[in-house]
Amino acid sequence: MIERTTVRRPSLTLQRSRHELDRTLFRRVTAFGPRAVPVSVEGTASAASAGPRERGTPPPGAAQGASRLRRLAERRRVRDLGLRVAGVLTVLSALELCSRVGLLSQDWFPPVTETYAELGRLAAGHPLWTEIGRTLNGWLVGIVIATLLAVPIGVLLGSNNTAYRFSRVVIEFCRPIPSVALIPLAVLVYGVGLEMKVFLIVFVTFWPILLQVIYGVRDVDPLVQDTARSYGLPPSARFLRVTLPSAAPYIATGLRIASSIALVLAVTAELVVGAPGLGQSIVVAQSNALLPRMYALIIVTGLVGWALNSVFQAIERRLLRWHPSQRREVAQ
Amino acid sequence: MLEVTDLRKVYGPDPTAAPAVADLSFTVGDREFVCILGSSGCGKTTMLRCLSGLVPATSGEISLRGKAVTEPPEDMAFVFQDYSRSLLPWMTVRRNVAFPLRYKGIDKREAATLTDEALDAVGLSGRGDRYPWQLSGGMQQRVAIARALAYRPRILLMDEPFASVDAQTRSGLEDLLLKVWERYDITVLFVTHDIDEAIYLADRVLVLRPPANVGHEVTVNLPRPRHQVTTKQEPEFARLRGELYAALDGRSVAA
Repeated sequence: MIERTTVRRPSLTLQRSRHELDRTLFRRVTAFGPRAVPVSVEGTASAASAGPRERGTPPPGAAQGASRLRRLAERRRVRDLGLRVAGVLTVLSALELCSRVGLLSQDWFPPVTETYAELGRLAAGHPLWTEIGRTLNGWLVGIVIATLLAVPIGVLLGSNNTAYRFSRVVIEFCRPIPSVALIPLAVLVYGVGLEMKVFLIVFVTFWPILLQVIYGVRDVDPLVQDTARSYGLPPSARFLRVTLPSAAPYIATGLRIASSIALVLAVTAELVVGAPGLGQSIVVAQSNALLPRMYALIIVTGLVGWALNSVFQAIERRLLRWHPSQRREVAQ
Repeated sequence: MLEVTDLRKVYGPDPTAAPAVADLSFTVGDREFVCILGSSGCGKTTMLRCLSGLVPATSGEISLRGKAVTEPPEDMAFVFQDYSRSLLPWMTVRRNVAFPLRYKGIDKREAATLTDEALDAVGLSGRGDRYPWQLSGGMQQRVAIARALAYRPRILLMDEPFASVDAQTRSGLEDLLLKVWERYDITVLFVTHDIDEAIYLADRVLVLRPPANVGHEVTVNLPRPRHQVTTKQEPEFARLRGELYAALDGRSVAA
C-alpha cells in the first residue's frame, strides 16, 4: 500500500470542532428549560414524554426552546463574524501603521490603504477581470482534463489489486516531481500560451485526484458491499450506487487539493514564463515599479484562491451532507 | 425449505487447515422460526455467509427450496448485526428500503407500495425522509428490517441483529420481529448468542458447537403469541434455558 501521506479529509477536525460547539451550546440551552426534556434517544418518544415531571412545573414548551436555541445560534453567528472581521481589521491597521510611521519602508511596503485604493481602481477600469479570466481559464481546463483522466483510472486501479500493484511504482515516482521542474519541458512542447499552463496543471493535479480516487474506492466498507450483493445488485449497480457515493468524499477532497495546486501552477506559469494572466500582470506591475498595483494584484490572487475554495466547500456541504464531516445534527 | 448438508468451510488455500464450519447439517421448514445459538467464534457468521451465498462453501450442499445456493438467492434477505454500516448514509430511509427492489425487477409504483408497507410494519412510516444517521440505533435496525421485508423474501437470515442495542430496545425489536414474521409469513433463521432471546423467539433452537456443527437441538413448545414477561415466567422456559445453558456450557468445557 502507498503510505497515506495525502490529507484525506482535511476539513474533518475543523468541522468536528464546530460540531462540538453546537452540541455544547445545545446542552446549555436544554439546561435552561424548566425541566429539560432529554433528546429522545430511542424511537420511543412516548418514553421521553412520559418521563417524570416535577409537580407544579409547567411542561416545557418545545417551540419556546427551539426559538431560544435559534436566537442563541444567531447571536453566536454574529459574534463569530464580528471576531473574524475584527481580526482582519487589526492586521490591516497594524500594517498601515507600520508603513506610515516608517517601521516598514514605504518604498517597498506602501500603506495598505493605498493598495486597497489601487485595488478599487483596478476592479473598475483595468482589464483586471480579463486577467482573472485568463488565469481561471487555465485552471478550469486543467482541472477538468485531470479529473476526466484521474477518476476512471483511479477507479480501475482502486478496484483491481493487480492493476494497483502494477501501477504503484510509477505513481510513486511521478507524484513527487516538483511541478516547476516541468516548466521548461512544457514551454518547449507547448509554447507560452494556455496549452502550456493546461499541461502543467493536468500533469500535477492528476496525482492527488488519482490517489484520492484509489483510496476512496479501496475504502468502501465491506459490509456495505455485502449488503449490496446480498440484495442481488449487479456489479454495475454496485459501482454506481455504492462504490461511487462512498468514494465521493475522498474524490471531493482530491478535487479541492487539486484546485489550489492548479491555481498556484497557473500563476507560477504566468510569472515565470509570461503567459497572459494574473501572474504576468504582477510581473508587469513590479517592473514598472507600481508597488500598490503589485500588492493589489497579489491580493487578487489570494481572493481568487479563497473564492475557489469556498465554492468547493459549498458544493461539498451540499452534496455530502450525509458525510460525518458535513453533518450538522445527530440522532434525535 | 432450507437444507444444509455436510457444509464445510475452510478459509485460505489449504483445504486441510482448521475449518470455520465443519460437517454442518440441518433443515429449516417453511415458515419456521429457527434460532441458531452459539458462543462467539463458533462459526455462526461464516455459516450465515455461506448460506446467503456471499461466500462459497468449501464442500457440502446448501439448497433453498430445492435449488442449490451458489450466489445470493432472490427470495432471501439478510439483516446484519451492524446496522450503522449496512444502511447507506447517503440515502434517505425510504431510499434505503426501496433501492434493492429495482434490481429485483419491481416497478417504481409497486416498490413505493412495498416500501410504505414495510416502514409501516416496523413503525417508521413518518421517518421515510430522514437519513439513517438521524435515527437512533434501534430505529436504524428497524430500517434494516424494513428493507429486508420490502424485498419480500421467503427466508430472512439474521446475524445477531439485536446484539448492539440496549436491553429495552432489544425486547421491543424482538416483539416487532415476531409480529412481522407472522404478518409477512416468512421463514426466519436467526443467529444469536443469547439463550433467552433464542427461546423467546424460536420454534426450534439449534446449538452450534465449534467448528460450527449442530451439537444440540431443542423444540420450543411455548404458546404464541409470546409475551416478554409471562412467557419468560413459564416453567418450560426455565427448563429450556437450563438445558440450553448446559449444552452451551458443556461444549465450551469440552472445547
